[in-house]
Amino acid sequence: MAKTSMSSKRRVAATVAVLVAIIGLFVVRLVDIQVVRADALSADSLGNRSVENTVYGARGEILDANGVVLAGTVMRYDVQLSPKNAKEFTREVDGEDITVTVADAAAEIGAITGQTGAAIEAIIADALADNPESDFAYVSKQVDVDAFRAIYDLEIPWLTFARNPSRVYPNGAVAGNLVGFVSAEGKAQAGLEIGQDACLASDNGTETYERGADGVRLPESTVTTDAAVDGNDVVTTLDSDLQFFVQQALAQQAQSTGAAWGNVIVQEVKTGKLVAVADYPTVDPNDVSLTEPEDRGSRAFVAPYEPGSTFKALTAASVLDAGLATPNSEVIAPYRYLPANGADVNDSSGHGDLRLTLTGVLIDSSNTGMSKFGELLSDQQRYDYMTKFGVGSVTESGFPAEESGTLHPADEWDNQTAYATMFGQGLTTTALQVSSIYQTIANGGVRMPVQLVSGCRAADGTLTEVPSTEGTQVVSASAARDTADMLEMVYQDGWLANTWEIPGYRVAAKTGTAQMPDGEGGYTKGYLVSVSGFAPADDPQYVVSVSLADPVNMNSSAASAPVFQEVMSQVLKKYRAVPSGAAAPDLSGSW
Amino acid sequence: MSDNLARVLSAHELRPDIAERADADARRHIEIVAPSTHARPRIVYALSAVACVGAIVVAQLLLSVGISQGAYEISALRASQVELGRTADSVSEDLIRVSSPQSLAANAEALGMVSNSTPAYLRLSDGAVLGAPASAAGGQAGAASLVPNSLLAEAPVATESAAAVAAAAAAAATTSTASAAAVPVTNGLPSPTTR
Repeated sequence: MAKTSMSSKRRVAATVAVLVAIIGLFVVRLVDIQVVRADALSADSLGNRSVENTVYGARGEILDANGVVLAGTVMRYDVQLSPKNAKEFTREVDGEDITVTVADAAAEIGAITGQTGAAIEAIIADALADNPESDFAYVSKQVDVDAFRAIYDLEIPWLTFARNPSRVYPNGAVAGNLVGFVSAEGKAQAGLEIGQDACLASDNGTETYERGADGVRLPESTVTTDAAVDGNDVVTTLDSDLQFFVQQALAQQAQSTGAAWGNVIVQEVKTGKLVAVADYPTVDPNDVSLTEPEDRGSRAFVAPYEPGSTFKALTAASVLDAGLATPNSEVIAPYRYLPANGADVNDSSGHGDLRLTLTGVLIDSSNTGMSKFGELLSDQQRYDYMTKFGVGSVTESGFPAEESGTLHPADEWDNQTAYATMFGQGLTTTALQVSSIYQTIANGGVRMPVQLVSGCRAADGTLTEVPSTEGTQVVSASAARDTADMLEMVYQDGWLANTWEIPGYRVAAKTGTAQMPDGEGGYTKGYLVSVSGFAPADDPQYVVSVSLADPVNMNSSAASAPVFQEVMSQVLKKYRAVPSGAAAPDLSGSW
Repeated sequence: MSDNLARVLSAHELRPDIAERADADARRHIEIVAPSTHARPRIVYALSAVACVGAIVVAQLLLSVGISQGAYEISALRASQVELGRTADSVSEDLIRVSSPQSLAANAEALGMVSNSTPAYLRLSDGAVLGAPASAAGGQAGAASLVPNSLLAEAPVATESAAAVAAAAAAAATTSTASAAAVPVTNGLPSPTTR
């Protein structure tokens, strides 16, 4: 009995000892796993199972009035390699294992990305020279889907790919001056891209999911930690087809006349909407580097100049509105006019005293004649008319960095400026402001806000940030009508009558030839030649305004007239503006 | 039942001897019945419990096999969805590219088309010609390249063989002579007179 109790006691002791030893082992292991190596292990396990993915939100599109995509977002792929792992590998072709050397692989990649095999080998060599353990280098950034697939199908083990959403401009340079562009990192840099960034911008999100050892996503394990938000679309008032035509016509004429730059604006009379705004030279946002930095924007918005004689229409409309003259009012226009205040006004070419009506002053574009009408108004009155026409302030277009031009207050005008402002010198306007002046005259004296963007369209189709469409009466309807009639006489009887004729239509237009400031208070030898007008004259629908800077081969508004003719007839054709067939007014230019 | 209970309770209080006998009766009753009723259900319950556990295990196994099978299917479908999405991206990019005005103009020119800058209209109600019609001179020929589009660098221009163009022109000529037979315009839309 005592013996058995002794042995059983020893057995119990042994069992306890073994248990303690086992538990001790477990505790040590537990502490090792849970405390000592906890961070490394849990990071490891997460890395093995859980994958975090960026979900890209798409930046909104910039559309023309008909829904044509001017700027859109596409998925591009960055091709990367691991230099330290770039070694030969075997590939199975038709059941046979073929060894592919690094040089072979590099040549295969290069054939797709447009690099040479040597260039890709150099990337590997450079990275390894920098750091023998280098695990990352770019082969090519932003290759398109087709190239990505072709490279992916090469099954090169040391290549990796990253998605990189990128901006694409399917129409190239069409409206490139207005749409602007983004940097390689996707930051808005110019034009509507930056002006409408608040509407276009998207937010990338993240999702996390877990995957098994074989890389298969575990069911129901997706956790969207941050939802991606797509950008909204910007709807512009432009017509991409017309914009293309206008850019072509402008570029062709600018090149043949040797112009430094130029622009053409097509604006809808009744609404103030810009249908086309062409600039030359212009940028292809797909490849900005091909264009000089100063040519990458839109000079129509940001480059003010002295408008010259196209401005006379404003002075004439002001005088008519004030009731101080009619289209048939008579003056004697000398070659040189010395007003009482000491100014000195000359016409562009010598002539004897001319007996002109106000209509004739516009037809002949006489500075002295216009001075005699303009001085009927006080400086302050004319200043007020100019500001009401939109001179001296930025338009409502919302285009980034738009210039206001320079219009000094009337009490700061010196004697010469007081007269020069009557025929468009001594102040500057953008091409857009000139177009707006003609829109006002064409629209019965009602100036409509200049519109480039119709709004920001959300995914559900709602349009926000719709600009105001409330016009302001600048001059009376009858003054506007009379001015339009006089401008029609200019079109019909002016010296360019044969150059800008659009058979069958009634058109109102005025030329301008203004000296260009050299930036140091004087003038250069070059001229800015322009034509602004609208048609059909009896029921105006569209304003077309053409400017060419310093066309060295043809330094007169005869250089811009063919563009006006071509663009205006295309506009009338495109929008089916049917000629009324009614007779033009008959105003006499002389007496 | 409650009536019976009340009687037992009252017996307990009034006559303890009867209550004691009743207790003894109850004890004896359990002792006899208990062994015979215990043995059999135990095996049945155990078997059914084991069977249940087995069934649950099997069901769970099947379920998880099903789910993981589904996971592979989803994975494969997801991959093919991504592939199809890429194909869609690729072809829609191509489409947008070739529908750009530069591409259309270049192709139209390559096919021998010219634009007419003199618009004219035919009013259907009275057959009046509005505007001054003139034949096309091809104002902007060759100007497409003035508005660059670097996306089109490699896009081929559709050029039909000269023979095909000639054949098309001949066909157009025949149809135009055929349809040149005067269609009377009376009121509204013109319609051929049938007898």
